[in-house]
Amino acid sequence: MDGLVQLQKQLVDYTASLFHEGFLDDQFNQLQQLQDESNPDFVVEVVTLFFEDAERLLNELTKTLGQPSTDFKKLDAHVHQLKGSSSSIGAHRVHRICISFRNSCEEQNVEGCLKNLQQVTHEYSLVKSKLETLFRMEQQILAAGG
Amino acid sequence: MCFPSKFPFAPVSIILLCSLSHIVRRFSASELSLNEVVALVAPMAPSRSGSDACRGGTPEFPAGLRVLVVDDDATTLRIIEQMSIRCRYRVTTCTEATVALNLLRERKGCFDVVLSDVHMPDMDGYKLLEHVGLEMDLPVIMMSGDSTTSAVMKGIRHGACDYLIKPVREEELRNIWQHVVRKIWNENKEHDNSGSMEDSDWNKRGNDDTEYTSSVADAAEVVKGPKKRSSLKEEDIELESDDPATSKKPRVVWSVELHQQFVSAVNQLGLDKAVPKRILELMNVPGLTRENVASHLQKFRLYLKRLSGVAQQQNGMLNAVPGTIESKLSATGRFDIQALAAAGHVPPETLAALHAELLGCPASNIMSTMDQATLLQASIGLKHSHAEHAVAYGQPLVKRPNIGTDFLPSVLTANDVSSGYGAWPSSNNTMGSVRPNNSVERVGTQNNNILMDILDHQQRQQPQQKQQQHHQQQQQLRQQPLIPDQSCSINVQPSCLVVPSQSSDTPQAVNSSASVNQNCSFGRNSIIDYSLLSQKSNNSVSASQFPSRDTKAQGVLYGYTTPSTCSMSSINGNFQHLQNSTLTFGAARPFPSPLPMSDRQDPYGFKSGDSFDQVCLRNIGFIGKGICIPNRFVQNEIDSSVSDFSQMKVHVDSSGNTLKEEPNFINMQKGSRPMVERYQSCDHSSVFTE
Repeated sequence: MDGLVQLQKQLVDYTASLFHEGFLDDQFNQLQQLQDESNPDFVVEVVTLFFEDAERLLNELTKTLGQPSTDFKKLDAHVHQLKGSSSSIGAHRVHRICISFRNSCEEQNVEGCLKNLQQVTHEYSLVKSKLETLFRMEQQILAAGG
Repeated sequence: MCFPSKFPFAPVSIILLCSLSHIVRRFSASELSLNEVVALVAPMAPSRSGSDACRGGTPEFPAGLRVLVVDDDATTLRIIEQMSIRCRYRVTTCTEATVALNLLRERKGCFDVVLSDVHMPDMDGYKLLEHVGLEMDLPVIMMSGDSTTSAVMKGIRHGACDYLIKPVREEELRNIWQHVVRKIWNENKEHDNSGSMEDSDWNKRGNDDTEYTSSVADAAEVVKGPKKRSSLKEEDIELESDDPATSKKPRVVWSVELHQQFVSAVNQLGLDKAVPKRILELMNVPGLTRENVASHLQKFRLYLKRLSGVAQQQNGMLNAVPGTIESKLSATGRFDIQALAAAGHVPPETLAALHAELLGCPASNIMSTMDQATLLQASIGLKHSHAEHAVAYGQPLVKRPNIGTDFLPSVLTANDVSSGYGAWPSSNNTMGSVRPNNSVERVGTQNNNILMDILDHQQRQQPQQKQQQHHQQQQQLRQQPLIPDQSCSINVQPSCLVVPSQSSDTPQAVNSSASVNQNCSFGRNSIIDYSLLSQKSNNSVSASQFPSRDTKAQGVLYGYTTPSTCSMSSINGNFQHLQNSTLTFGAARPFPSPLPMSDRQDPYGFKSGDSFDQVCLRNIGFIGKGICIPNRFVQNEIDSSVSDFSQMKVHVDSSGNTLKEEPNFINMQKGSRPMVERYQSCDHSSVFTE
């Protein structure tokens, strides 16, 4: 039992740190609240949807920026989407970068866009690994009988 | 049996009604109560909502609110869906605006409110907003991550009821019901003021037995006035005598004819100079008020504006201002025409007529005529003791020149009757009971007199315009006109029932029976219930999703997966589902094979009761296409069959044969709309085998 308690404490601390460091925001809490017995995997489900979406969008962004003549409208549309989905799961840092990314698009600033793309890709992979860690910890707890 | 060319529907509807009542009776004898059936098939509904529905308690408003959510972002969509489920709404999701719009058109009266994202790839959210406002007049709430004042202002200008900033929180969702109620109140006030006739109890939905009346309707009624739960009988016949204070106010149904009158008045005056007062004078329609005209004019102007914008884009031909409708219509696509026709909340059926008239080309989306034909065919084909009635009814139905107007009375009747039906499929009680009998009795009774009465009544009703369309009813009505006469409307109801039961088309596996609604609620959701029944698999999610992509197997409802067609395979599959659902209706037994439309039967022969039932049920489904199926349809995985059906009217065709030769209207329908697909008739002998 002690192991279980330990695991649970770890989870709590870890989650708190994610919030503290700005990886997650209150929206993530909303997600957790939406999870219940009839939807026990809701958070994982939604976050997975986000991962899929985000990866697709990041690919699109990379492709669009790789074009000789940048289609800023298209870029903006993709960023907007990424912004929306990241905010809906509470991926705070990703969301923030998207905001400045959109500004770069508006200014038609290719350099700025490239930089933003790099940042958002980085932040995305960070939050992804953090969330995956979180889910793993939850699994461990479940496995341990929690 | 020869049916009058114009209104063959009446008999059909009657037949259907009869068959329905027959079916109902059959099922009532069955051991399974609706509740039990529901419980069997819909295990997954969350206990809170499920228990409500299963217990037969009407969900308290705002629970049961029928929400359509449109957002291209799957993550947000899923979250809002879950939040809506938490709020105990009956939620349907869509990732594409075009799919959503089709869904709304096909299921008029099946949604209370629309939540739409602003930025979507296939259609601007504001455009969708405009369309919905013009055609369905539903409250639309915009959502966006963009919180700038200008964006919000744009939403308001386009007529959004509210504007939510993403990420949307559950508390915000809990509040959206206010927009629905507000709209209802305002509409009621408007109607009361204008003294339009109330068709009071459609809303009631004759759900005497049904505990599952729309929670919205209930709420609205509560606020509006004393609930009136008169017996269906009264409602059936005495539409006019309904107490105006209680029912949702009747809304003027802008039938094709009426709208054309309006348009010609406007053209006469010149769009610039067209003022409601003058238009009203020119139109000279008794019972129409200046307010009705004014609001219709407003919508019309918006519509034209949009059209001219589109037209200019498209071919630069149209000029915004005073063109005739025709010119605008020709320039724009079918889509627009539909919108135009819908501007006055014209039933989709009338759109077909309008379409045909104005453009000379059938609108693929407008199924009504086909549906009607199908319905008629189906009904004709079915052998039923009531068939005679149908025949009898056919006669009186003849005359009306205008489908649109026909709808009105029929709608009324249908509603009344349908309310019975509504209760019927959805609630347990209806299953066996009573309710349907009340309304169905009228029709279902093997009593010619009753049918005749209804017909007469409807005919009498016709002159009175003010079809009340409470905005929910309205949608239903619009859908109903499938069959201009009351019989039509009657049919509609059942079809609604049947269709939805199909299974929503969720992108998921067919098992989304759950889509039915989180609450497994019945009542208005006859469809849902039905689907519950028929669903073999249960979907724990109460929301239904409308896949924007093609989900062959599952669910493209009404061909949502692809804009207008369904693949044969999916159709067959769907049909199967449809069949199953229909079959299971009341029986809660999935039937392996789709019910063949009256393939073996002589359409007028009314040979086999079973097939009749089946066909009837199926037809009902078809009718739905393009017709508002009053039931709440949660898009679950309903088979696209439903949609397919409507489009296809396959059954009619496939079976054949005799059907084809049938009533003129069918022929004319055919002309206007080619059958999309041919449904393989299946052996339906086994269908209702116990």
